[in-house]
Amino acid sequence: MPAEFPPVPIGSMIPLTGPSAADGAEFRKGMILAVEELNARGGLLGRRFEPIFADTCRQTAEEVVAAARWLIEKHKVHAIVNGYNIGPQNSEYEPIADAGIIYVHANTLLQHHDTIMSDPERYFGIFMADPADYWYGPGFIKFISWLRDTGQWTPSSDRLAIVSGSKPYSIVIANAMAASAADYGWRVCFGPRIVQTPTTQWREVLEEARAANPAVLANTHFYAGDLAHFQRQFVEKPLDCIVYLQYGATHRSFSDIAQEAATGVIVSSVVGLLRDEMGKRFEARYNARFGEGSTATIGCQSYSNMHHYAVAAAMAGGSGAPGDFEQNRKVAYALKGMIYRSVQGTIRYHPDWQAVVPYPVVTHDPSLGMPHIFYQIHDHRKPLSMIAPEPYNTDRFILPPWMSGKSAAKPAPSNPRGLTNL
Amino acid sequence: MRAANHDLRQPLASLKILIYSCMREEASETRAEMLHAMSVAALIMEDLLGALLQIGQLDAGRIQPRVTSFQLSQIFERLAIQFRHQAEEKGLKLRFVTPRGTVATDRALLERILSNFVANAIRFTEVGTVLVGCRKEGRMLRIEVVDTGRGVKDEDLERVFEEFYRAAEERRGQKSGLGLGLNIVKRLAELLEHPVRLRSRPGFGSIFSVTVPRGNVWHSEGGEVEISETVAGEFVGTPVLLVEDDDILRRSMTQLLQRWGITVHAAADEAEALRLADEGVSVKLIVADFNLKSRTGVEVVRGLREVFGAATPAMIVTADAEPRVLDDIRGAGLPVLIKPVSPPRLRVLMHNLLFEPGLVAGPR
Repeated sequence: MPAEFPPVPIGSMIPLTGPSAADGAEFRKGMILAVEELNARGGLLGRRFEPIFADTCRQTAEEVVAAARWLIEKHKVHAIVNGYNIGPQNSEYEPIADAGIIYVHANTLLQHHDTIMSDPERYFGIFMADPADYWYGPGFIKFISWLRDTGQWTPSSDRLAIVSGSKPYSIVIANAMAASAADYGWRVCFGPRIVQTPTTQWREVLEEARAANPAVLANTHFYAGDLAHFQRQFVEKPLDCIVYLQYGATHRSFSDIAQEAATGVIVSSVVGLLRDEMGKRFEARYNARFGEGSTATIGCQSYSNMHHYAVAAAMAGGSGAPGDFEQNRKVAYALKGMIYRSVQGTIRYHPDWQAVVPYPVVTHDPSLGMPHIFYQIHDHRKPLSMIAPEPYNTDRFILPPWMSGKSAAKPAPSNPRGLTNL
Repeated sequence: MRAANHDLRQPLASLKILIYSCMREEASETRAEMLHAMSVAALIMEDLLGALLQIGQLDAGRIQPRVTSFQLSQIFERLAIQFRHQAEEKGLKLRFVTPRGTVATDRALLERILSNFVANAIRFTEVGTVLVGCRKEGRMLRIEVVDTGRGVKDEDLERVFEEFYRAAEERRGQKSGLGLGLNIVKRLAELLEHPVRLRSRPGFGSIFSVTVPRGNVWHSEGGEVEISETVAGEFVGTPVLLVEDDDILRRSMTQLLQRWGITVHAAADEAEALRLADEGVSVKLIVADFNLKSRTGVEVVRGLREVFGAATPAMIVTADAEPRVLDDIRGAGLPVLIKPVSPPRLRVLMHNLLFEPGLVAGPR
């Protein structure tokens, strides 16, 4: 690569310390792998990408805003590309919009929609490269309805209990579940009950939920360790119900703590690595670069975000430094029009939301949306089993070991991958 | 056309007579009865014209089905609202066994079929029940409307679906059916390729059914596509008291909070806020301006907490960025935001006050 071209500085706001440091480490790896691959192919029109990482620690508004300012003012980054930061509630959008640079993140927040639509001109360059947390709600309700309607599971009743953590993300998901339930024949019998998190003490709320005798118990808190304790405390006195735990239970650390209690748990993610050929090749490259203990399903977020930003910048004829609104508008225009098949499914932005459209809740076409993936832990020592949706699923639902036989799944449907009705 | 002409002329003739009589009638009670009869005649004509229009559209091939997947319960809910009063007026029980399941068909056309079935069932049932439910038939779902009405004779089972068909007793004027509803059902069912069936025992009742394909719940269309914080935002339904004496700011702040799903109780001053409390309003959070006309926001919050509860979370917003003023507010134990308030900062503070009070910074 010619030395005379200065590199393109790309910021990345990542929790390298604090409670989400495990995810942060993977986001960093994802950025490094993407930049290495892009630079090996010539970078951005001959200019090398240079990633600059800012630690967002506990991901509070102050910390994330400070990280954005540091990247813009000290390093003059042309874009900020990262995974998620849960705390700032879009506070970081302000310095980024002032600078007119591109920001691609996976914050998974409903609030993104309100902020973007309140002033599309100001926030022209800000993109959420995954669907909002809100979609977990209707997606989950459709998932349990699908299990029910296809005879894979016979619920003991129509009762649904919802426990939520105290972060906005958890509360929104819990509210969205409750709002969608009745449309599909479910009745909320408990909650959404907001529990102060982080916590490892769940016995009190579990006791209250048990009294409501639900057929489905969902916990929308998302810290892996806390959820592992929830599950261990649930199996002390289990109910004849399905247990759904939010995103954090996809982590290796969840199964490590929960051990045998993890088997049977349902967990989902609106942004996760697919098990198809593309996904497997990515995972192999990722592990070869960073070691077998790495979690490609987390690192894929920043990896894909960086990759599709680079494609858009190339389409636009280059990136723009802070203040170069004109060039960055061209990049934003390219991002808006792009249908990019990433290793976690399709990144296609809704023109008004500037957020990715989920499949199958919003679009019914898997080539136009990012799949909301449902996993089940079949063996706590092995990778999660991907049980929905088609065409990405590779396994089928099994009855959790704590459930009674009377709710047992009916014989396997004709579809060899375990799905019917599709 | 002859039958339609006859059916249209009959209520028209009644209407003319009623108008003529009504003009001369002095007794208000009799006049009210006549007016009611006139409205019934007009409704019959309206129904007939609507039915003829539908048949015309079907004949002309203008109705194109739009097949989607949706929850059948959505149609049942609408039918229940539509027919509840009619059934109650006749002293009939109208019961819907709400199904759990997805069907794949044209939602509006299926609703027309079912609404004709239910209207017919209510019309021809004098005592008992009209029950709407479904049965699974392999990959299909049979939707049934069961009544305890007079039933249909064997020889009429096929003919009831013909245009302008009415049973002999109906033709003698005992009932006011148009004889078009079931014909429309037949045509719509043919268009959708959904089998329609009638089973009946004269004197005991009838079961009209339509069989539809079951759909894919993943593709089911619900209200979820309307992503909005007013549906499932973290603050949805939270009652907040806003005290702001500037009319424009109060209005814009109210709009912002409402967009986030908050139930806003806005007041220009403390007295208005206290009146809200008198009216029984309860709130979970107080947002007060600092520079209110007669008192400071800190004093107003203190007064309001006596009414709304001492533990009610509260925050101050102020355009006065003087460090001394800010220190005084924080010294009183209240978090503060400086105007113009950044919406994300407001969100974070409101979230912390409502859900994670441990994260609210204490007085410096």
